[in-house]
Amino acid sequence: MKYFLTISILFLLLSCAKKDKNRDAVEETWKGRGFTYYPAGYLKPHSGRGRRGDRYIYAPHIRFPLAYAPAYINSQVYGVGGLYGQRGSLCDKRNYSYPWRDNYCETRTHKMPLCPAGVGHQGVDIRAKDCRDNTHYAVAVEEGVITYIGSYSVKLRGKSGRTYRYLHLNSKSIQVKRGQRVWRGQKIGRVSNNMGKTKTSIHLHFDIKETIRFGRYSKSVYVPPYTSLVDAYKRLLRGRP
Amino acid sequence: MRLLLITLLLVSSLYSKSGILDIEWSKVTQKQQKPSIPYPNVLTKGVKDTRLPVYIPRLFAYDKNMVVVADRYFYTISFILKDATIMISGDRTFQEDFSNQGSKFQKMMKASNVVEFSIEEEARIITANFNKQGANYELQIECQTKSDKRCIKEDFIKNLYKQLIVVGGNK
Repeated sequence: MKYFLTISILFLLLSCAKKDKNRDAVEETWKGRGFTYYPAGYLKPHSGRGRRGDRYIYAPHIRFPLAYAPAYINSQVYGVGGLYGQRGSLCDKRNYSYPWRDNYCETRTHKMPLCPAGVGHQGVDIRAKDCRDNTHYAVAVEEGVITYIGSYSVKLRGKSGRTYRYLHLNSKSIQVKRGQRVWRGQKIGRVSNNMGKTKTSIHLHFDIKETIRFGRYSKSVYVPPYTSLVDAYKRLLRGRP
Repeated sequence: MRLLLITLLLVSSLYSKSGILDIEWSKVTQKQQKPSIPYPNVLTKGVKDTRLPVYIPRLFAYDKNMVVVADRYFYTISFILKDATIMISGDRTFQEDFSNQGSKFQKMMKASNVVEFSIEEEARIITANFNKQGANYELQIECQTKSDKRCIKEDFIKNLYKQLIVVGGNK
């Protein structure tokens, strides 16, 4: 009986410890407007290895890249209707609801030095308020200059020296030109499914590239954007973007 | 008062995380050759104030339709081809200083002088990131069609990388 009790207590203690370890994964809530989000690096299960524990805000004080709330950061590939997601429509309500899920470092084949797997998604995918195509504006996150416009990508170099990339904007909706100076919050183009001559889901892929110095060396890398975006989104919800 | 201001500026610069990278100009001058025909005005005027070596693929050095966006410490030059866009950019600034971080970051840096080709499969953009003489560069091709070999295979971008020449940049 004594042994049974000891083993039971040990088992209980162990299970509690296990729960504590996973407590971080519980979604974080934010007062007001119902905004909830998982911490940075907590990707959708089985979609890759995120940078858990890295809560550093790499691009502090940026504006949220969509003109207004609500917006939803979640996986396109592993979400409902995605290539590896549950069957259903890409416009499914579940894709347009909180909590947010980080998808930086989600499984991909391209090299990513800052991802635990060494490969992964370079930025995050953001859905706008609803599934309407060519309706919701993406805006400049920082004052800067438009350095590049491709057939489905726009690059903004901010005053800070960081480069922000916006993918899949409707090419006819682009409101900026190469070399144009833009102010924080200025409209860039509308969120779409543009990927050249083929289409993707309606979303904005947003990434941040910056140079990190390590003593004598330096390297330009795509840094985790999620924490910067959570911070920016809270300010947008407060009405002070 | 002035002394206090200078001290404050000095202290803030010591703790500043961003800054300008050093360039090994001695290595650059060896690579820079005078062109037999002058480069287009759009290029020479565009990068006249740029303070880092300006690399572009030789194949496009005389393309008058190139678009140059440049400043003192960065440049971006793009070329529009049929169903594709080529872009090269160089940058001499840094935004974070992780010099005192652990070995994890140092390991990552060991590969910093090696060219890295990465293909963004879902977005059909192929990119080469590399470091030359202290500055960081990005060579990128964005394709419109899924089957475009220039964005599927690495041969085309590797060939462009091999063709890079210095066309400008001042100390």
